[in-house]
Amino acid sequence: MSTPSTPPSQPASLPRSNVALIGSPNSGKSLLFNRLTGLNQKVANFPGITVDISAGKSLIDNSTEYLDFPGVYSLHTISGEEKLAVEAFYKAMDADHLDAVICVVDATRLEKGLIFALQVVEACRRYNKPLLIAANMTDVLEQHKMQLDTQGLADALKVPVLPISGKTGFGLENIPSAIASAKAPTEAYGIAGDIIASDDSLIHRQAQQLANKYGPKGDLLINAQTKLDSFFLHSWFGGLSFFVIMYLLFQSIFTWAAPVMDGVETIIQVTADFVLARVPEGMASDFIADALFGGIGAFLVFVPQIFVLTLVVGMLEDSGYLARAAVICHKPLRVFGLTGKSFIPMLSSVACAIPGIYAARTVDSPRKRWLTYLAIPLMPCSARLPVYTLLIAAFIPAQKALGGLIGWQGLAMFGIYVFGIVCALLVTAVVSRSNAELRSDLPFVLEMPPYRLPSWRPLLRNAWNRSKHFVTKAGKIIFIVTVVIWFLGYFPNQGASLGDSWLGTMGQWIEPVFAPFGLDWKYGVAILTSFLAREVFVGTLGTLFGIEGAEENFVSLSQQIQDSGLPIGSGVALLVFFAIALQCVSTLAVLAKETGSWRLPTQLFISYSIFAYVAAFLTFHLVEFLV
Amino acid sequence: MTLWDLTQGTSATVSAFAASIEAGYRTRLSELGFHPGESISCVMAPSLGAPKLYRVNNTVYSLDDSIASMIEVA
Repeated sequence: MSTPSTPPSQPASLPRSNVALIGSPNSGKSLLFNRLTGLNQKVANFPGITVDISAGKSLIDNSTEYLDFPGVYSLHTISGEEKLAVEAFYKAMDADHLDAVICVVDATRLEKGLIFALQVVEACRRYNKPLLIAANMTDVLEQHKMQLDTQGLADALKVPVLPISGKTGFGLENIPSAIASAKAPTEAYGIAGDIIASDDSLIHRQAQQLANKYGPKGDLLINAQTKLDSFFLHSWFGGLSFFVIMYLLFQSIFTWAAPVMDGVETIIQVTADFVLARVPEGMASDFIADALFGGIGAFLVFVPQIFVLTLVVGMLEDSGYLARAAVICHKPLRVFGLTGKSFIPMLSSVACAIPGIYAARTVDSPRKRWLTYLAIPLMPCSARLPVYTLLIAAFIPAQKALGGLIGWQGLAMFGIYVFGIVCALLVTAVVSRSNAELRSDLPFVLEMPPYRLPSWRPLLRNAWNRSKHFVTKAGKIIFIVTVVIWFLGYFPNQGASLGDSWLGTMGQWIEPVFAPFGLDWKYGVAILTSFLAREVFVGTLGTLFGIEGAEENFVSLSQQIQDSGLPIGSGVALLVFFAIALQCVSTLAVLAKETGSWRLPTQLFISYSIFAYVAAFLTFHLVEFLV
Repeated sequence: MTLWDLTQGTSATVSAFAASIEAGYRTRLSELGFHPGESISCVMAPSLGAPKLYRVNNTVYSLDDSIASMIEVA
């Protein structure tokens, strides 16, 4: 199966420069694209995760550029997202932007792939575009000793069919030559006339006949899948395993990342000591200690957590489990006006709201997607983590209860995460009930992808990229903010008294805003700067306490907060404020881009700010009353 | 009888779509394999009204009651 099976009498042709990759959702197209281009497009085992057209130069032959189109089930489209993808595909064909097309089909589920492939054969015939069919996932066939007759299929379709595996890389080296020799289909398959516009049962019958004749035989794969489904969707075990998996997900963020976080902290500390010992005392050393190590170092500590979280969420997507989780969550989420498909964007938002907003494109009902957008900013994203960790370390004792089974700090973290999720669900429940239109829905139809062992390399690369993105994107903002904050806090009296600095003076103006929950001006400034990005809060506070206390590292920040005599009510109020407020410029910008206007982000920003303020105010008084 | 009435492990043949089903969705269901004459089996029927899993050829889809009850089977 290592050479392309071309139909007879196809002469060689010119190399192609722009090659489209098209296929139905879950055909392994994105993994293939990553393999071919070395790009780091997100690959996931969940139908419809590719939501933009990505382009990348071929690693094998750099005169070729591959364009990865979003997965579509058909060239007849029903959902808005698919429609955009199909229109983009036709537009690219029409404008002569494409030199060839590769249609990726999942060889383990040939019939489904062929229904789409037959439409693509017809489209390429019409637009006179060379076509290659890539029969993907042949590694799975081989593993189960199943056969695909690529030559027979190629002869029947009069289109070359190349067996490949995006996962193992099998057959990929043959793609450039296979594309080069591919020709535009000249005959419509099976029927005379337009197969795309024809009766859908006809195309279905043809795909079925072809799959029966040339495709793998037997039920082995589907039986294995059903066996696992009967466990993961079992009335008891299914629910139980869902909770265990979610528990492990959160556990991994805190326990697996902890040693690496300690490592990063130690590196920052050692570097700070090393550098500061070599810089003469004065303004420069104050700047290095307070702004660089106090401000930026404080947030670098959290990068390992973001890495682990992205890795674990990616692993769950890749394994096929998230589609099952969507089934489990569908009924409960419907109570809150959402759908099971909202689960993936909401879970992704636990890592970061931005991929969550993009993933919401897979929610085919526009109304449910809109409701999902309302929930996303309230999901406990990883940018809140530094703030939560800091405040919990400062206010919750590091003691354990029930013989060491429960740690109060862990419980507090769990509590604030649950609080965010509950807020998200309550908002969607109230909004969906207040508007009758939002209650109606597109039906829930979701393909169950086969269970697969995750491909580690793309997952690790994705987690690495997300962390890098976090450092470079958020790091830039944090650097600028901390430098400005340091400058305003250090002058005009060279750090002698923070309260008399320019920042101190400005801080007194805003103090009345946050005084109702017992916060002084330093927290007020930190909250204001955190509207750029939440993690800036830690950096700003680190810088401010650094100037004030001449401490140079982050470790003592929670201690300094404790020592500052801040009441516990204020600490809990801050936690509640950060759980609700939409303090993220990037989230607002991406929401505006996705919804096509600034209306929704503006509404959300204002309403969540008011909600956060009121909830924090009530929390402060409640806690102070109880304690 | 509708597809939603199928219990776990049973199969039936699609006979028709409910008149109220949107045309676009009827086409999509057909493309996924849910079209008149096709045999569908219910591979999983989780309790508490969760969406059921239906097998069409070599692919499994999850459908909730709102759509599965619009597909008539015999």
